[in-house]
Amino acid sequence: MLKSGVINFFRNGLVSLATVLVMSLSLLMLASVFMGSVFLSTFIQDLQAKVDVSVYFKKSVNENAILDLKSKLLALKEVKDVQYVSRDEALRRFLERHKGEDIIARSIEIIDENPFSASLEIGANDTSKYDIITSFLEQASYKDFIDIDERGNQKITYRQNQAVIDRLTAMLGATRAAGFGAAGILALIAIIIAYNTVRLAIYNSRDEISVMQLVGASSWFIRGPFLIEGFIHGIIATIFTIVIMYPSLWWAGSKTEAIFGGLNIFDYFISNILQISLIMIFALGLALGVFSAQLAIRKYLRV
Amino acid sequence: MIYFDKVSKIYSPTAIALEDVSFTVSPNEFISIVGQSGAGKSTLLKLLLAEDRPSSGKVFFESQDVNILSRKELPFLRRRIGAVFQDYRLLPARTAYENVAFALEAAGKSDDEIDHDVPQSLELVGLMDKAWNFPHELSGGERQRVAIARAIVVRPDVVVADEPTGNLDPLNKWEIIQLLEKINGLGTTVILATHDKEVIDSLQRRVVTLDKGRLVRDELRGKYVL
Repeated sequence: MLKSGVINFFRNGLVSLATVLVMSLSLLMLASVFMGSVFLSTFIQDLQAKVDVSVYFKKSVNENAILDLKSKLLALKEVKDVQYVSRDEALRRFLERHKGEDIIARSIEIIDENPFSASLEIGANDTSKYDIITSFLEQASYKDFIDIDERGNQKITYRQNQAVIDRLTAMLGATRAAGFGAAGILALIAIIIAYNTVRLAIYNSRDEISVMQLVGASSWFIRGPFLIEGFIHGIIATIFTIVIMYPSLWWAGSKTEAIFGGLNIFDYFISNILQISLIMIFALGLALGVFSAQLAIRKYLRV
Repeated sequence: MIYFDKVSKIYSPTAIALEDVSFTVSPNEFISIVGQSGAGKSTLLKLLLAEDRPSSGKVFFESQDVNILSRKELPFLRRRIGAVFQDYRLLPARTAYENVAFALEAAGKSDDEIDHDVPQSLELVGLMDKAWNFPHELSGGERQRVAIARAIVVRPDVVVADEPTGNLDPLNKWEIIQLLEKINGLGTTVILATHDKEVIDSLQRRVVTLDKGRLVRDELRGKYVL
């Protein structure tokens, strides 16, 4: 049975090739959809983690008052973490960032005073909670603490960046929803096409199947070789898919690194979802091959 | 051994293939079923192979009603009945040898048995020298002989032949008929469906005549009369 499955595969060379190619295409589509959505989700999470609120304090406010506010903020359930950046720390960070730029270092020396404000960097559990946190800071009791910019607005970065953050969140959300929708439809089409190709291949063998029944072959004896053929299609399609996907991911990774702010698709793929993807593609390939064959042959096994 | 008991096959009121047909086939008999095209010969053989079910009546193979066999039991019935058709029904992607071996594989025989029985069977039909040819490389008569080799290799109790000579020239036709007689001589029951007058008249065996689905004559040393 194993032997005749393998022999059939090679004797039906062209049909086998077509089946394998169509199945590879379907797998490639399914895999890209899967990895695309995983990657996009990660990217969104990553972005959300980067969003935080910074609140800058007037230079007159002493450290204890700020630390007091910090512990009050930590008591809020919307707040994940709060980091205190003292004026000295802010200066150090600034110099660090502009290391080697003499003019900047000299300008600071000329001012002869630390021009930076102390600040709290607040991270929330969820981007939608920044509004609540910001409202909390805008209470009258803190009004005297918080630094004011030239236009008289309080220096709370969330308020300053709000429009951008909101738009980005909405955009990514919409992209993800649309992506999943399109992915679902594509995946369905891919499976139907693969199934139909296998069915066509088996339809070609309908006379053969009737002969087998006539000489008293059991249904498993007839079905077996087709299932094995399907299995072989699945394996080859899987390997083919991986062989194509690997370099194209690498290429996509190097091309899109800048867009995703240093997040490389290829590296991400290798380090996070390599095993899962391989197992998934493999399982899908085999399932697609064997189930299509099983489903397709059922029709011809009715006596 | 085989018993058709008041068998009718009615596709629709205007398409009656068989009507109330009863007859018995004894072991080692050579029986011809004759009639014009559409008389119901093929339907009769289909019912015996349980490829189709009768509308009423029963078909017995030994004491077994073949139409109540489950899908799992059917292959066992078919392994006891070798079938030969006008259109050969060989597997085109397999050589003559593989076609014959296939019936044994399907019956779950061991490789040793296959290696032993297939050449024997091909020898009997005189095709050992073309064992490795594919069906499209063989003539009609040769293909039919492969089909017969396949039918007999499982040592069936019965060989049914549905118009086996329908596509053949006279020379090949007689070779096939002689082959069937030889098989019958070796102890296998043969049921031959044909509308070939010459064949029937020369055989001098039992003839069952069908006309428009009805059994009209059953003679021990029959001739083709219609």
